[in-house]
Amino acid sequence: MAFYIARRLFWTLIVVAAVIGITFVVFYVLPAGDPALRFAGKNPTPVELELIRHRLGLDQAWYIQFFKFIKTFFIGDQYGWPGLGYTFSGQTSVLQLIVARAPRTLLLIAGSSVIWLVSGVSIGIISAVKRRSVTDRAAMGFALFGISAPVFWLGLMGLYIFWRQLGWSAGTGYVSPTDSIGGFLSHMWLPWVTLAMLYAAFYARMTRNNLLETLGEDYIRTARAKGLSERQVIFKHALRASLTPIVTMFGLDIALLVGGAVITESVFNLQGLGYLALNGALTQDLPTVLGVVLLAAVAVALMNLLVDIVYAFLDPRVRYA
Amino acid sequence: MRRSLRLAAFAVAVVALAALAAGCGSSKKSSGSTTTSSSGSTSNVQTSYSNGTAAKGGTYTIGWENSFGFTDNFDPTGEYLGNAWGILDNLLVRPLMGYKHAGGAEGNQLIGDLAESVPTPTDNGLTYTYKLRSGIKFGPPVNRAVTSKDVAYAMNRLADPKQGGEYGFYYSVIKGWDAVGAGKAKTVSGITTPNDSTIVFNLTTKTGDFNLRMGMPATAPIPSEVGNCFNGKPGDYGRDIVSTGPYMIQGADKVSLPCASLKPMAGYSGANGQKMILVRNPNYDQSSDQYRKNYPDMFKFLINSNADDIYAKVQAGQYDDETSSPQPKTIRQYVTDPTLKPRLLSNVGDRTWYLTMNLTQAPFDDIHIRKAMNLIIDKEALRKAWGGPLLGSIATHIAPPVMYNNGLSEYDPYSTPGHTGDVAKASAEVKQSKYDPGKTGKCTASACKGVLLIADTRALDNRMVPVIQADAAKIGITFTVRSINGAYTTIQTTNKNVPISERPGWGKDYADPYTFFGELFDSRALIPSGNTNYSLVGITPAINAAKKLGVTGNLNGIPSVNTDIDACQAKLGQDRTTCWENLDKKLTTQVVPWVPYLWANNVIIVGPKVTHWAYDQFSDTTAYSQVAVSQK
Repeated sequence: MAFYIARRLFWTLIVVAAVIGITFVVFYVLPAGDPALRFAGKNPTPVELELIRHRLGLDQAWYIQFFKFIKTFFIGDQYGWPGLGYTFSGQTSVLQLIVARAPRTLLLIAGSSVIWLVSGVSIGIISAVKRRSVTDRAAMGFALFGISAPVFWLGLMGLYIFWRQLGWSAGTGYVSPTDSIGGFLSHMWLPWVTLAMLYAAFYARMTRNNLLETLGEDYIRTARAKGLSERQVIFKHALRASLTPIVTMFGLDIALLVGGAVITESVFNLQGLGYLALNGALTQDLPTVLGVVLLAAVAVALMNLLVDIVYAFLDPRVRYA
Repeated sequence: MRRSLRLAAFAVAVVALAALAAGCGSSKKSSGSTTTSSSGSTSNVQTSYSNGTAAKGGTYTIGWENSFGFTDNFDPTGEYLGNAWGILDNLLVRPLMGYKHAGGAEGNQLIGDLAESVPTPTDNGLTYTYKLRSGIKFGPPVNRAVTSKDVAYAMNRLADPKQGGEYGFYYSVIKGWDAVGAGKAKTVSGITTPNDSTIVFNLTTKTGDFNLRMGMPATAPIPSEVGNCFNGKPGDYGRDIVSTGPYMIQGADKVSLPCASLKPMAGYSGANGQKMILVRNPNYDQSSDQYRKNYPDMFKFLINSNADDIYAKVQAGQYDDETSSPQPKTIRQYVTDPTLKPRLLSNVGDRTWYLTMNLTQAPFDDIHIRKAMNLIIDKEALRKAWGGPLLGSIATHIAPPVMYNNGLSEYDPYSTPGHTGDVAKASAEVKQSKYDPGKTGKCTASACKGVLLIADTRALDNRMVPVIQADAAKIGITFTVRSINGAYTTIQTTNKNVPISERPGWGKDYADPYTFFGELFDSRALIPSGNTNYSLVGITPAINAAKKLGVTGNLNGIPSVNTDIDACQAKLGQDRTTCWENLDKKLTTQVVPWVPYLWANNVIIVGPKVTHWAYDQFSDTTAYSQVAVSQK
């Protein structure tokens, strides 16, 4: 297992480097114009443009910039390790920016993942156990709604109903839990639920389908024949086997959300990592995009590894060489 | 039982779909023209707002969409964003020349701000002498009197490209300016300070709008003991601006010199940050300032990524003001609700929006095609795409009439019924074009098919492009549309050879038509990247080669207006205004680089706690030095 983990970590580095390289190339291949122009005023002189390009490091070939970035990443800069450079727009440390914004995204993911996991799996179990009942139909109807309703629409409707009309939510924005736990919860519960609805729907369907399949297995029939209660059959035997694909999905979903909860962050004005990356892409702020892409790539790779390890514990048939 | 369950499920699904459609339906309805309804009217929309007595105190909160978007991190030397100028000029800096921070023509009138008065040039218009007011002090952490040397320092900083200046070109008329720009001198020889309260500028040529140029934020005094901490680090001073205005960045009194110990002021977390907080400057002397009223104790500028939420918070009173652009549905809501309407404010924005046509690229290298475009485009439909009459008036020539003190307000050489275009007139013009050899009234040559049109990716562009395509098709021109996010950087690059774009707009830097003509149509200003003479007026093969513009196409016979610009620049007063008016007419009818379609208004919605609001015509923003908010 240790050797397996070491090998996976090595390949993680290769994958991350490849992702960074592709991002660099994309920035130079897509015809989006000279980034330096965005940070020059009206009618910049050629001298001014050259100075801006030099300040931003754009006067060098893309592969030289790439290798400089990799070097700074491993050595670090004045703001610490890893060195992620400075934004084009404000010459702010990308690392500091990510560190400042990351808690918003991570807390958004943490809260919504708990909600979607608990609710999705619970609904899936109930739906599978009460198959073809009104409960099952309602649960799958919810799943259909959750998968179909756009996140931005859910968010805006949620704000209108729970903030504007009912006053149950504090509205958009972010309050750090260290400043006020009440303010934090009153701002975050609505984005948690909004983001969770889509995933809960998927998880409910996935859990239902897997559990139904597992409940049809011979060993489940044997367990029932041996006189185990239905609760024991489901929770001690069937659920464990059904959850292995759920675990895989859970790990990947969390990893993808690290850089990807853009819509939720925009609607609820959370201004986390996803929004940071979006703004960076729209303003051609290459270092910002690179920083978030790097973080997201590392998150996906590490979560993949973690999921595989947990998989081995869940399913005794799985052994890694 | 099973069948009735299926029916019940079907009924639930239908109801759910209906609810979903109802939720989405309102947004679909709002995508069209919405400024009038059976119960609402865009007439009587106010330009200012007063609700009760303006009193000192309170916090004025502004919702700012997406990100600050500063061009130089709010450093006055290089900051060129209009919204930033509104903050700098109203609240933080006092250049030699200033404004009354009002709307309309009054707001564009020059006054002495740091200087006692507006000087008259001497020495045949080549020397400007400014006398500074006494008693003006820098705020924390400098806490000393402002002198003429501080103004000279700011100007020298602007002259050095390494310090991030973005409009230094306005001051190249000062003797010795270009030497600093070229690295041949450290200071501008044409700027002298005979004593602490006098500063003199010696020019190389008569420049009738020089006083106006000394009203821009980069010319405001900067203390060298702080400015020198950021030599060669453009933008960094933006987080440590030393105020001469009524407010300062929160935390300015908590930072200290020397440079090694100077930290960024806490109230502004940088261009990528989420807020800017300004509080009163303890060293500000209200008696030295006739026009800034300075009612609130604090200003909070808060970034919000959700434009809808910005307006929801304005309506709920959590924000007092906003820097976003209201969607048609929001405008309709305010126009049709008599309780909300007074807080919907619309002011002339001193800005022209236009389609730009490249004089070197077919088919726009033919003046008849360019004239035909002016006659066929449905400008009223384009205005509807913007949101209707509230968003501005139809543009009929280059610069808005307000730039000429409302001169040329009736001038419309391409008049069509209701500004909706006229196929007959346009066709008659096309018949004179070389691209209609058969005199059919349609552009039949292959050069008229699939012409590249560069558009941006905003919702507004998506509404405008189909109008332009449909109108041009009436005279036989078809477009290949390429939508690019941030299209400006593409159309500003000359070797892209863009034939036409719907993206550009142009606003004044200060209230003189030179800020339109000098940058937009002077061939001496042509540059390969960052070019704003999109139409390439005045280009020649020699200029193309010398400046490495990379333009391919028809470069011969392109008209130039350089001589006209120079002639107008030397004049003063009404002669100057008349000269610019004549140049506008010449460009509109004899060069025809654009299809101007909108002189946009600036529409701002304020919250219920605001008791006083005015517009700042200079910066085209809220006049923050005039606003007041209820403290209840």
